[in-house]
Amino acid sequence: MIRLGRVQVKVIERVVATIPLALAVALAAFVLMRAIPGDPVDIMMGEGASSSEEEMAALRTGLGLDQPIHRQLVVYLKALLRGDLGYSIVRSRPVAQMIREALPATIELAMCAMLFALALGIPVGVVSALKHNTAFDRVSTAVSFIGVSLPAFWLGIVGILVFSMTFGWLPTSGRIAYGMEPRHITGLLTLDALLTGDMTALGNALRHLCLPAAALGLGVAAVVARVTRSSMLDVLGSDYVLFARAKGVPEPAVTTRHALRNAMIPTVTLVGLQFGSLLGGNMIVETIFGWPGLGRVVVDAIFARDYPVVQAAVMVYALTFVGVNLITDLLYTVLDPKMALE
Amino acid sequence: MKHRWIMAISIGLLLACAATSLPVSASGARKILSVIVDTTADRSDEAQAISEYLRAVGVSAEVRVWEWSALKERILAGERQMYLTDWGSAYFDPFDLAVPKLKTGDRGNYSFYSNPRFDAALDAALGMSSAEAEARQRVYFEAQDILWEDAPWIFGYALLETEAARADVLDWRPSMDSRINLHDVGLKRGDTIVVGMAGDSILTLDPAAYRDRLTETVIRNMFDGLVTRTPDGRVVPEIAESWTALSDTEYVLKIRRGIKFHNGDALTADDVVFSFDRVIRDGAMGGRTSPRKGLLGTLVAVEKIDSHAVRFRLSSPFSVLLQALVHVQIVPKGYLLSVGDDAFARKPVGCGPFKFVEGRLDDKIVMERFGDYYGGSPDLQPVGPARVKRAIFRMMPDPTVRVAALKTGEVSIIQTVPAHLAANLLRDRNLQVKSAEGTRVYCVEMNCARPPFGDARVRKAMNHAIDWDTILNTIYAGGASRLATAFLPSGFGHNPDLEPYGYDPQKARALLAEAGYGAR
Repeated sequence: MIRLGRVQVKVIERVVATIPLALAVALAAFVLMRAIPGDPVDIMMGEGASSSEEEMAALRTGLGLDQPIHRQLVVYLKALLRGDLGYSIVRSRPVAQMIREALPATIELAMCAMLFALALGIPVGVVSALKHNTAFDRVSTAVSFIGVSLPAFWLGIVGILVFSMTFGWLPTSGRIAYGMEPRHITGLLTLDALLTGDMTALGNALRHLCLPAAALGLGVAAVVARVTRSSMLDVLGSDYVLFARAKGVPEPAVTTRHALRNAMIPTVTLVGLQFGSLLGGNMIVETIFGWPGLGRVVVDAIFARDYPVVQAAVMVYALTFVGVNLITDLLYTVLDPKMALE
Repeated sequence: MKHRWIMAISIGLLLACAATSLPVSASGARKILSVIVDTTADRSDEAQAISEYLRAVGVSAEVRVWEWSALKERILAGERQMYLTDWGSAYFDPFDLAVPKLKTGDRGNYSFYSNPRFDAALDAALGMSSAEAEARQRVYFEAQDILWEDAPWIFGYALLETEAARADVLDWRPSMDSRINLHDVGLKRGDTIVVGMAGDSILTLDPAAYRDRLTETVIRNMFDGLVTRTPDGRVVPEIAESWTALSDTEYVLKIRRGIKFHNGDALTADDVVFSFDRVIRDGAMGGRTSPRKGLLGTLVAVEKIDSHAVRFRLSSPFSVLLQALVHVQIVPKGYLLSVGDDAFARKPVGCGPFKFVEGRLDDKIVMERFGDYYGGSPDLQPVGPARVKRAIFRMMPDPTVRVAALKTGEVSIIQTVPAHLAANLLRDRNLQVKSAEGTRVYCVEMNCARPPFGDARVRKAMNHAIDWDTILNTIYAGGASRLATAFLPSGFGHNPDLEPYGYDPQKARALLAEAGYGAR
């Protein structure tokens, strides 16, 4: 018999607990989408030559939209339990296929934005804390304040105007140049390029990632820097750091092993929460950079009242968010073994 | 007793309050016309300007910004008064503009306009065969006069469709139906042409499964129709060699020989019959009905005569049949039946100048020149295979980014350049900017079924109150032309001699006064 450790049990519990959550999210998305005005068939038919009322009614019947809402819900939930996400009304393709195509692009962008944010935010935060009240600290605080305030779409457009149009260093938009795509393994182009050892593809994909990841990640970097700075300041003033120093531990070791590790806990919490907002903020950045991700699919689907697509995407977002939070909680226990999963 | 006095005084006070807030006060002073101008976000500047002009003639006007679907629902419920709307025409004929927008009870008639004389004129024109062009034109002229007199809308304008390309793109010109036909286009250097599309995503690669122009632009580089249209709107043969009308409801089309699909199959009458059947028969697309069905009007059947001739049968005369045929693309029957509808949409096969290579609908679609192309319409030079080897359509929803990508040379042609960016592009010697006449009518509709706009005098006053020339010059940098009614100059039967309502605030005030409204 397999003996499970405490952590494994907790993880399984948490995963099981997401099932009712997923159902609740599905239900909310289902009801709310139908509560907003507008009709997918009407939007799909657009304008132009006569589409008779009979023709529209026939389409509605074909899609099951003429049924009462509770009956539609039953049909939807039954399909959902079978793992069937349905068929896009406007694009006439399986929703699962659309999401499978778009999700890797969104995840890749969000992860790169997060990496960018951490790579910039943590060092700035740590140095600001160590050089507390110096010019560096003040400037970095001021800059991160501005960073938080600038919207990603503005940063994106300015980035394109400066780095693509004026200097010509980076491509304006898209994910990779035509003909450069690495063999499809995960759908994350950078990862696929690494796995297949295709360095030209990696370089090209990274060049395409620079601007959108920076535009999306800069705001997060600013928040990370501020939180890291204040928790670092807290920890640096604590008794155990004083004790470590008194013991004669060299200063770099005090900073990294003793202080930073503990100071990271609020940052990890923040990263978990920000990841969700990165997925959401994606919608605008994806539109600007022509990034073929889930955000654009969802925005289109909302305007077109493409119910099955919106429902599925909302669920994907919710589950991603829950998953990231679970990982965050696991990270706590690594950073601070005293903490247990609650 | 005391109570009664208090009651009486209260009622008196209430009545007095009510009277002063009512449009007509007891003294007989004229009421104030008060309207809310509804708009979507993209035209809110224009709506502001319009409400300023309305205020200047004594109307109390205020702007409200909506999401379109939400607004439309309230409009159709008859709850709104005045709204900025637009409507596109694909057929270059009032058939898909004046009819749906203004015929009594039709699908796009958001102004609830109803005039039996106007309806009768439209019906008469539609029922005529395409041979009776002169009579149709006369009837449409009459319809425009009726419309002008009734003024159900504040008649607006058509925007120029402006596109831009790199200077090394040869023989490129935007067409009125906003289609980008890459068959005719060449490149000074290089063999790949990239087009920046003004949209988030096309909907499908199946020529029977969509209803929007963005999708059509991409699809029609891979698929050809029986007939096609020149950039200035004339219908010319493409796959069809010729057509003859046997009667008002029966046409025979001869099909060109030697046309091959991308998979090598020869195109015959069977493919034509199959392609049309798939659009007009219910449930013919793997159980679903094509959203393009309505585009074909009264067409009830397409029958094979021999391997290269087909007969079109209509249930009643349909004057715009040829315009409609432009929008149906021919698919290979054998291939489609063997792979099924879904697989066909993933790997489409047509007989157009380019064959599908790969692509994602919301990213880019890559095509390559089809070596065995029959050459396309003999009326559209050059005839022969496409001049560029590869064509890529990239989705670039943001206009600033499209312009940036054009300037850096990442793309060669871009769709829809906003007026405020066009001026900047015109100064760049590496670029060319061209415009085509728009086929979309922009206007302000009024709810004619309810007061105050049930009164034609009030509607006319609205038309005289607005200085469109200033609005169009300021907001659209002059990239727009005024319309006298709801008929487009690019469409059939437009009367060029009918003048738009002139800007005349005096007259507007006078008309309002006549209808019983005073100034603020």
